[in-house]
Amino acid sequence: MADIAKQYADLLKDKKSADVVLASPYKWEKVDPSKAGEKKTLFGICRHCMQGDCSTLVHMEDGVVVKVEGNNIPPNFGSLCPRGNAAIMSMYNPYRVKTPLMRTNPEKGLDVDPMWKEITWDEALDITAAKLKEAYEYDPRSIVINEGWGMKDTLLRGPFQYAFKTPNMVGSHGSLCAVHYGTGLIHGQFPVSLPDLEYCNYHITMGRSLGVNFATTGGSRKLSRALERGMRLIVIDPRCSHEASKGEWVPIRPGSDLAFLLGMANVMFFELGDKLDINFLKTRTNSCYLLTQDGWYLRDPETNKPMVWDKISQKAVPFDTKGIEPALDGKFKVDTQLLATGFTTVRAGFAEYTPEWAEEKCTVPAETIRRIAREFVEYAQVGSTIEIEGFTFPFRPVCLNMERNVMSHRYGVYADLVGKLINMMVGAIEVPGACLGSGYKGPSVLAPTEDGTMAPGCESKPCAWTFPPDHIGLQEFFPHAHTTPHLVTYAIEDPDRFHFDYKVKVWIGGGVNMVRTNGQPERFVNMFRQIPFHADIVCHLDEQAALADILLPEHSFLERVRVMPFFPSHQSFDRDVMGLQMIQLRQPAPKLFNTKHCDEIWYELAKRAGRLFGEGGLNDGINKFDCHLIHDQGMSMRAPHFLELDREYDYYDIIDRWLKSWMFGDGVSGWKELNEKGAFINWQPKKTFYHYYHWPEDKTKHEFYFINLLKVGTALKGHLEENNIPFPFFEDDATPVWECFEPVPHWVTSSEWNAPEEFDLWAFNWKPPYVSSDVGNVVGNPWLAELYMADPVEGAACLNPVTAAKKGLKTGDWVRITAMHGEIECPILVSERFHPDSIGISGTYGPGNHGAGPLMKRGPHYNRMVPTDPRTMDPVSGSQEIAPKVKVEKIPTPKNLEKKGRR
Amino acid sequence: MRFGMLINLKKCIGCNACTVACKSQNATPAGINFNKVKKYEVGTYPSVKLKHMPMPCMHCANPTCMAVCPTGATQRSEDGFVTVDANKCIGCRACMTGCPYDARHFLFDIKPYYEGQDFTPFEQLKQKDYQKGTVIKCNGCMDRVRAGLEPACVHTCIAGARFFGDLDDPNSEINHMINSQGATPFHPELGTQPSVYYIQG
Repeated sequence: MADIAKQYADLLKDKKSADVVLASPYKWEKVDPSKAGEKKTLFGICRHCMQGDCSTLVHMEDGVVVKVEGNNIPPNFGSLCPRGNAAIMSMYNPYRVKTPLMRTNPEKGLDVDPMWKEITWDEALDITAAKLKEAYEYDPRSIVINEGWGMKDTLLRGPFQYAFKTPNMVGSHGSLCAVHYGTGLIHGQFPVSLPDLEYCNYHITMGRSLGVNFATTGGSRKLSRALERGMRLIVIDPRCSHEASKGEWVPIRPGSDLAFLLGMANVMFFELGDKLDINFLKTRTNSCYLLTQDGWYLRDPETNKPMVWDKISQKAVPFDTKGIEPALDGKFKVDTQLLATGFTTVRAGFAEYTPEWAEEKCTVPAETIRRIAREFVEYAQVGSTIEIEGFTFPFRPVCLNMERNVMSHRYGVYADLVGKLINMMVGAIEVPGACLGSGYKGPSVLAPTEDGTMAPGCESKPCAWTFPPDHIGLQEFFPHAHTTPHLVTYAIEDPDRFHFDYKVKVWIGGGVNMVRTNGQPERFVNMFRQIPFHADIVCHLDEQAALADILLPEHSFLERVRVMPFFPSHQSFDRDVMGLQMIQLRQPAPKLFNTKHCDEIWYELAKRAGRLFGEGGLNDGINKFDCHLIHDQGMSMRAPHFLELDREYDYYDIIDRWLKSWMFGDGVSGWKELNEKGAFINWQPKKTFYHYYHWPEDKTKHEFYFINLLKVGTALKGHLEENNIPFPFFEDDATPVWECFEPVPHWVTSSEWNAPEEFDLWAFNWKPPYVSSDVGNVVGNPWLAELYMADPVEGAACLNPVTAAKKGLKTGDWVRITAMHGEIECPILVSERFHPDSIGISGTYGPGNHGAGPLMKRGPHYNRMVPTDPRTMDPVSGSQEIAPKVKVEKIPTPKNLEKKGRR
Repeated sequence: MRFGMLINLKKCIGCNACTVACKSQNATPAGINFNKVKKYEVGTYPSVKLKHMPMPCMHCANPTCMAVCPTGATQRSEDGFVTVDANKCIGCRACMTGCPYDARHFLFDIKPYYEGQDFTPFEQLKQKDYQKGTVIKCNGCMDRVRAGLEPACVHTCIAGARFFGDLDDPNSEINHMINSQGATPFHPELGTQPSVYYIQG
């Protein structure tokens, strides 16, 4: 139980109850008379979605922000989405947390009044720092830093973690969206791989959006141009979305995408085998490597190099032997054993997945699967080349991409990898027109290892094994997992079960709300009841904030200074971002309340907890900070700008030093110059954007046979055996884990395939344009609320007319939708745009909490139906199941909504 | 110069960026949007599409709203903007009946956007000139255009679906696009001569 209120009882005497601030109408202060008549424009960067990279101009009059619009520079070139345009109302939101608060009611719950009291910043920081210091001295691992998309305007969160030496960074962002393994393995990058819409002529998109469905500027601009020049767009989706309406919609049963992919790959392997990019497979993949009977590379006893079958000498030789002709397909007798190539082994794994087999699972007609496979191969123009800036590339203008709604199932990583196989079969990887990794650009990404293949990158590189485990999210057991807040709930509940030798003492959240954005909210509420001290850096009094002991209020994003390197990129690429290196600037609007910049909070906490100075302190962390996305291409301190370890620095001084260290800068331009220019922009040659340029021809290879899964799975098994422990959650039988670590992807069912018969519909969910990734309290923004409440799809459960008729339901009827792990209630919308086996529910609304604005309590909370149970997740990526099977029953319209309508 | 807008429905994605850019530009009171986006589905499963139709004021060359205004509050400028002078508007709403495009809104009341809360500083500053009991409408971002900028809805469009220009200039890009792509106004048969054209999608 939280004991903060008791411990600090003296401090709370004579404090003002925060209910005055939170529950009563807020009286805004009059405009400062000294600002009357003043007009000015600030450079801005939007942060109303997780991308947060749109350049804006923020116009002010009389000290008031009167307009936010797109700036005519990259990456949005003047355009701005509905959320970006609504930024003003998030700043002037009377429900913001306006001053530091401390709970006085030890009981925690979403509907429980925390009885907040206002405290000073000194009090809030001192209390939190004292808890941090105590926890650090007990065991650094006892400190958990919990970050969400709202904490992406920080430069110091990473160095703060370094200073406190805790491995426990738990991201709330992404466990319903763990889409990174395949990109790490095949492209060496993070976060995702994307179509090259500059050249792509045939694009298949699944379970993701090119930006149109949730209204991102860059993605929508690029797709619009690609469609205008004639690119064919195939959208495989249970819903005919905005995007599907611009292309060909192929309806699919939710949660069955792997079947479609296996079927498509089967057609390519067995019906179109002679049209594949054989040269790519031979020279740029491990397809020719011979495999031993137990699935490992056959290695040369002398050099330890993987071996291939040389058709000239008719023997196995090291893969890089000069003058050989390696066999792609076949089984060859080596010594006494008949060994198959990687290609032959992978292809054999696909034999049973005929389009007819796939149709039965995913409902896409076999003929459609065949046609799409055929068109994909034809459009790939295998053998063609293109010259860019004097360099000749293979030209493969096709791409298949998938994300969240395909990968957030128990088989998510296999689906991802089958997608990679499909692209690789036509050579559509890291060349113009094809599938490209996003993130860091440069020669280090695809650099080959001694095995000839590139090293697994980012999340495909397993995190290290330690026992007893260090990571409160059980990363040791799930070494590729993206982020695992759902597993943290189990670890906090019963640390002994997972062999932890420490207990969590301090939880610091920032821009995060796991109660809303993860599954089974009640588990997170219970978890927070068990954490001794919980402070959150917050903007709004959301669900997670309502469970904290101390609230440290930060500025709204318009008030936050921000210097940000451009992260390439999201949704797609084209000329808008290819080669773009940029530092963007947000000049802060004057703050409205007693709030601080999140980085000032991190800095102050480190200082007061004694973790600012010396080696290993925050200053040192700033000097050593390495962005996991773009590494030294972003904010990396370089000589002579390093901080001295034992003195305090002004934040603007730190920024200035970082800017002068920027590798694409001139070495002298810093904070002053950035304010004059608004952005530093440096275009690199377009050809260097394609990784093929850095490692052409046979200079590197991708895994076609995914030996990395075998390696990591085998190592993990070994670690468990060494320590004589069973696999957590799978103590009786870990087969469901190991079947996801096989080197050839195969059909695996998600937990929902075995649901009892009465659960007869597949629920699914998507990000709507009004609130997309729920950053910056967009749901609580009344301009956006006006839009989502006027859209009949939002807040409703969408059913195909045939399904609705079968169930006796019509638009406006209220239903209870029950999954195996939770239930929601909402009205029905009957629409032709939905697959008959599906029930579609948009967005993330509700559940709401005591003290939150009224908009935060409306609408169905889809995630309530999403399981946190590890047996339902993908054991490789840690991704949760987001397409639960459900049953639907009609209920009376709630009394308070009978007259008002559906919400 | 005559204000003209071209909206490419092949490109429009129905995101409502235009709606909110307009709101922020004009600070329209709660419940009023000058720039609506109609969304509807056509066809039956599986041959179905979601369609979008942004609907700003059409700034007609022959505006019926102006013809029925009894006080001269509604005017059409030489450069094609149809506007309402709140000081002359008596709130009779004849213009609302006269407009076939639902482009006009009557200010019954001006309420804060945050229900039950005070007006935000933005609303306090920007809604000063709105008068309860009058009719308001899109003014084509007249001030922006005269200052050499695009209307807010055109500037913000994330799909590049909107284009703005001079309908009086036969060589203008907008006229070229209208002619080459067969763009037409919405309900031209009404004879209002709208200045907003659509490329069907």
